[in-house]
Amino acid sequence: MEHLSLYDLNIVIKDCLKDNLKDSYWVVAEIGELRINQKGHCYLELVEKVDDQIIAKNKATIWSYTYRNLSGWFESLTGQKLQPGLKILSNVVVSYHEVFGLSLNIKDIDANYTIGERARKRLEILKKLEEDGVVEMNKNLPLPFVPQRIAVIASSTSAGYLDFIDQLEHNVSNYRFVITHYQAIMQGDEAEGSIIQAMLDVNSEIENYDLLVIIRGGGATLDLECFDTYGLANHVAQFPIPVITGIGHERDETITDLVANTSLKTPTAVAEFLITGCRDFEEHIDNLYASIVDYVIHAFKERKSLLEYLTKHLKYILENSIKEKVTYLNVLENNVKNSAKGRKQILETVLTNYIKAIRLNTTQYLSLKRKDLEGLARNIELVDPKTVLKRGYSITRMNNKIVKSAGDLHEGEIIESEFVNGKVKSKIFK
Amino acid sequence: MAEKKLSYQKALDELESIVKRIEQNEPDVDELNDLVVRAVELVKYCKTKLKTTEEKLKNNLEELD
Repeated sequence: MEHLSLYDLNIVIKDCLKDNLKDSYWVVAEIGELRINQKGHCYLELVEKVDDQIIAKNKATIWSYTYRNLSGWFESLTGQKLQPGLKILSNVVVSYHEVFGLSLNIKDIDANYTIGERARKRLEILKKLEEDGVVEMNKNLPLPFVPQRIAVIASSTSAGYLDFIDQLEHNVSNYRFVITHYQAIMQGDEAEGSIIQAMLDVNSEIENYDLLVIIRGGGATLDLECFDTYGLANHVAQFPIPVITGIGHERDETITDLVANTSLKTPTAVAEFLITGCRDFEEHIDNLYASIVDYVIHAFKERKSLLEYLTKHLKYILENSIKEKVTYLNVLENNVKNSAKGRKQILETVLTNYIKAIRLNTTQYLSLKRKDLEGLARNIELVDPKTVLKRGYSITRMNNKIVKSAGDLHEGEIIESEFVNGKVKSKIFK
Repeated sequence: MAEKKLSYQKALDELESIVKRIEQNEPDVDELNDLVVRAVELVKYCKTKLKTTEEKLKNNLEELD
């Protein structure tokens, strides 16, 4: 039977491929595995998956010289290292070796494809988060009045974390921060799960914290894939207290940044943000206090000047009033003097007239009374019994009582008759 | 005075209400004095809480009581 040696067959295959294939192809594939040997050559496994099922797989290589250039350039453009899980568009030359078999030698990589691919993935995750209705949840939490009790998820040895702690503990305003550290792996495949676990630990002591800070930093461009995952973003979005990120990167924000309450570039920016939060509060109360002091000073000034005005005004009024009174008194005095003079004259005249009148009346009265007396004296003389007796009348008495009626007398009784010049006794005959 | 229960927010709210009261009601000197005394207390409380450690804070609060 005609046959070929294995080597001859492989040569046939090699020639066949060489004759039928183009010099190179642009191929989309996911990096399945990647390792670099001591010489700096990069050995990969490129795969294509449908629903996580591998439907194609090839070995691939990037020779060390190309790899050095390509990897640095790729990382600077995409912010990512070439690594498993990454979908790339690469220019490959299909090569076949009699011993090593089929292999794709990568000559070039189109970084824009990976950027676009990541953007598409990000959009997909964002859309999912939006459908969940959680994108704005953490953003809508109000920041605490004073961010003082802080849970920090970070790698304890990272330069970013140490800077963060140093800046908070030595802030010039002497604000006090209570910082509790939660250790987590911040890059690589395990990062997502590790950070989520740390968040769950924070959540179990949530009443002790005002804020959650997630930071990492130091180093150049870093692997930020874990911050673009649905799982971590979803936990951050729904975290019950505000989450502040300081992941330390220059390129576009990660999805975690997008759903966090506040996202800042670096750990030190987060520290500054917290210090500013305290300072804002302090300044606010200082301003309030200053406005109270202002008011008090103003109020006392106002009252003082009012008092001074009132004092002056009162003095003026008093002086004026006294002046007026004095003037009035002078007028009154004059009036009194004047009217007293007039009154005195009137009174004197009246008095003189009275005296005159009294004198006149007294004289008249006296002469009248004298005449009356003279009349009376004459009348008295007329009725004097002696005068009557002189005229021939006599007084009859019996037993020393005057007899006024003849009927009182009886026969034989003795009566006494008085005449002007003596008395006689007689006996009644009849 | 229940200072221990004061939060920053409560302290701030009270300070703001004091300012409002002063600006709107023009209190007499006695009332003004009381308000200023309270404002000083609140400011002191906040500043102490902002700037001292938990341990010192407790001591200070005990002094206030």
